[in-house]
Amino acid sequence: MSLVIVRLYHDLLGTYGDQGNAEILMHRARARNIDVELVEVTPDMSVPRTGDVYLLGGGEDGPQAAALDMLKRDGGLNYAAAGGATVLAICAGFQIIGETLPDSEGKATSGLGLVDAHTIYDSSARSVGEIVIEPTRGGLPVLTGFENHQGLTRLGSEMPPLGRVRRGIGNGFDSREGVWHGNVLGTYMHGPVLARNPELADAVLQCAAGPLRPFVDPLANALAQERRTALSGH
Amino acid sequence: MIPSLRLATACKAGELAGRISVRLGRGRGETLSGRVILALDPKAISRLSHNRDIVLVSGTNGKTTSTKNLAKILRDFAGEGVSTSESGANMPAGIASLLAQKPRSRFAVIECDEMYLPEIYAQTKPKVIVLLNLSRDQLHRTGEVRKVSNLWHSAFSKDDVTFVIDRDDPFLEHAVSQAGHVIRVSFNGRRHPDAATCPNCAAILDWSADDYSCRCGLGAKLPDVRSDKRLDGPQRNTVLIIEAARLMGAEILANEAGELIEQSPDRIHEFSASGRKVSTHLAKNPESWRQALGDVEANQIVLAVNARGIDGRDTSWLWDIDYSNLLGKKVICTGERRLDVAYRLSVQGVDVSVASSFAQAVSEFSSEPIQAIVSYTAYQDLLAAELGLTTGKGEAK
Repeated sequence: MSLVIVRLYHDLLGTYGDQGNAEILMHRARARNIDVELVEVTPDMSVPRTGDVYLLGGGEDGPQAAALDMLKRDGGLNYAAAGGATVLAICAGFQIIGETLPDSEGKATSGLGLVDAHTIYDSSARSVGEIVIEPTRGGLPVLTGFENHQGLTRLGSEMPPLGRVRRGIGNGFDSREGVWHGNVLGTYMHGPVLARNPELADAVLQCAAGPLRPFVDPLANALAQERRTALSGH
Repeated sequence: MIPSLRLATACKAGELAGRISVRLGRGRGETLSGRVILALDPKAISRLSHNRDIVLVSGTNGKTTSTKNLAKILRDFAGEGVSTSESGANMPAGIASLLAQKPRSRFAVIECDEMYLPEIYAQTKPKVIVLLNLSRDQLHRTGEVRKVSNLWHSAFSKDDVTFVIDRDDPFLEHAVSQAGHVIRVSFNGRRHPDAATCPNCAAILDWSADDYSCRCGLGAKLPDVRSDKRLDGPQRNTVLIIEAARLMGAEILANEAGELIEQSPDRIHEFSASGRKVSTHLAKNPESWRQALGDVEANQIVLAVNARGIDGRDTSWLWDIDYSNLLGKKVICTGERRLDVAYRLSVQGVDVSVASSFAQAVSEFSSEPIQAIVSYTAYQDLLAAELGLTTGKGEAK
């Protein structure tokens, strides 16, 4: 078994330590004897079309616009996602995979359209702080993260969210947070969300690799539990 | 009340409040004193700055050390009285307080928080502003590094102030691109980890040979000073400080400058814990962690990480750092977010465990040397413990 993980434009979309998610996926895959290859895509490269997992991180407005522009022209990510590749898109990355989002001047522009989601910029305060959500899909415990974003994202009625917000803002409309549509996952829980949620890391791996052997990482579980307890008493 | 009387009353009341605060064991009293001064005279900073030669020092890393260093250099080489903050208080209250303390000294060297720099610049009318560097820091509070760069860009226009900047940092070059007088110091370029795109026009920056250029022209202005030696962060800051001191009239010969750069102060402190001496780096953000990790020599390392307000409440940045320098060493993590840093290290393959306190971590090591890297409030807690103060926060839970 082998997996190709593609990290997209980490220099542009990696403001909040999002590259950690690639390291965590590799770590947890290798613990199950799955070979992993990491492909680091820089702006001068084309996006591989045959990767298994694609990672998009958070970024500032300018770099986000630059990344979106390149992804649209390249087409590789859309091609791979249409073929069933797994996508984990965080924060600015989550906005990019939707139908529309504001460009760097604030005007609506089209996104990659991998999920039915529309982002607008709200002029009120940024959503900044710890976030706790109740996941929509079964088999996952309460998830925790940190959010720091200006945009609000409205999901289409057919789009299942990643979870329901218990604490924090999330997508900002009703109580939904993120999106999980097929193998495409988007979230405002930024940075190394998989560090704090090992079960979510395994769920992402399973999208790409199928059922996984059991693996217990005591330190990962201790961190996840410590965060859950600190934030929600669970 | 006439303005000068209002100011005098404000300063007197501020001094009194500061003394009471010190007597109650609430720290140095600068912030309280400054708050009282500004409450009684909101224009105090501007009035106290009148007819003085002021330097502002700002940037992400090295502000406090560079401010102290510049104050010392000005004292030694210009032989004039210098007002400065010893404690790193860098917001309006702390600044009002330091200006009020020695109102007659000609020079004032003021450390300024990045977000307050435009305001303090407008109020103090400084002769020189030193901009050390800009990188990711406390994202939950100051926002992204481009926002700080843009804030400065809009505030700095053509007037009498002279900026001294590290032009190898594109965020600083953008910040001063509308300013009238700039001394650009180059250290032969180095890749900035946060500057993949241009701070001015958002195009992908062209980074070749460790230097940047952009179609919009950012980075095209030639440096005024070139430093050819390979220098670390604190040394680069000293070079900038020396240029600022020269602008203020200090005569520093080349060999003297060389010595000052060689002896650049760093934020390393020897703490005693469990009967041991531990050489401890204060590191607050990815860039200062990278520098501290570069200095690690011991094989036994304590890392202490909290996430209280001033540390940045979000620990995501821990993943921005490459810890390969710690591979093969024994590392013990402590602090309120010890699990965050310990898990991050374990994913990179570092031999890591956790301890409930700094002293506990130290006590688990052998008699070989120990080094520590600690975040801001963890450092303050260690300092407070050393001084016999309690911070009310206690050690890690």
